[in-house]
Amino acid sequence: MAEVRLDCMYEACPIPLLKAHKKLQQMEIGDVLILETDHNCSIKNVVDWVKKQGHNVDYIELNEGEWEIYIEKAK
Amino acid sequence: MSGKFILKKQNKSIYLFRYKRFVTQRKGGEVLKNHDRILKKPWPYMVGGSILAILNIILFILTDKVWRVTSGVVHLGAYVLEKIGLRPSEWYYFSQNTGEGLGTGEMFIYNPYIIMNAAIIVGALLSTLWASEFKWKRIKSGKQFVFALLGGFLMGYATRLSFGCNIGGYFSAIPSFSLHGWVFALFMFVGAWVGSKILIKYLLT
Repeated sequence: MAEVRLDCMYEACPIPLLKAHKKLQQMEIGDVLILETDHNCSIKNVVDWVKKQGHNVDYIELNEGEWEIYIEKAK
Repeated sequence: MSGKFILKKQNKSIYLFRYKRFVTQRKGGEVLKNHDRILKKPWPYMVGGSILAILNIILFILTDKVWRVTSGVVHLGAYVLEKIGLRPSEWYYFSQNTGEGLGTGEMFIYNPYIIMNAAIIVGALLSTLWASEFKWKRIKSGKQFVFALLGGFLMGYATRLSFGCNIGGYFSAIPSFSLHGWVFALFMFVGAWVGSKILIKYLLT
């Protein structure tokens, strides 16, 4: 089970989502993708999209206006 | 060197802890406080969209004007150009009947949309402060800077050709039963498609 970090700091929509999409394609089932972002739209559109794709997802706010989104590839 | 190593080791255990919490949260679920739900969590698109529509209707009833954004920006820009010695009021764009020209005794700076734009920025600032999400952002790379500038220029130029941005030319146009809003919508999707192709090819490395 690998853990991949993806730096999306200072990037606006839709780059975090596209980067996550690209990265997830290269990953194995059960791997965890950690997406770092400071764009508050990402915790809506990335999380919604990942749920729709059927993966497991959650996020936490680490600092003011900085989040980490955890995505576990499920299929 | 050793300090750096310790930091890295600590980081690893933090991630492990967070991941464990992530798994347990997923199983148990978490009750959110109302404060968090209103100020921190992103609102559903339906709620945000409905509020924008209601506010636009109220604005139209009270002022006989619909919400526009780039109108204010272009007048602010023209005001700045006037201040540095140019005469934008004589330009073809402003002298023709495009709705952007000046009447007798009017000045570029006296445009209600400039105040609205300022209010939008103040409102956005307040909402990030309430959510404790305020953060100074910086430019990530030269490439991001160049593409952002180029994109901004293209968007600004195009709004003048299409009588507004996605607010004036689309969001306010369709409820006003104007055909140009639907034309705008159609080509906005074409533009988004082309834009995302460019983005994937050149910016996603």
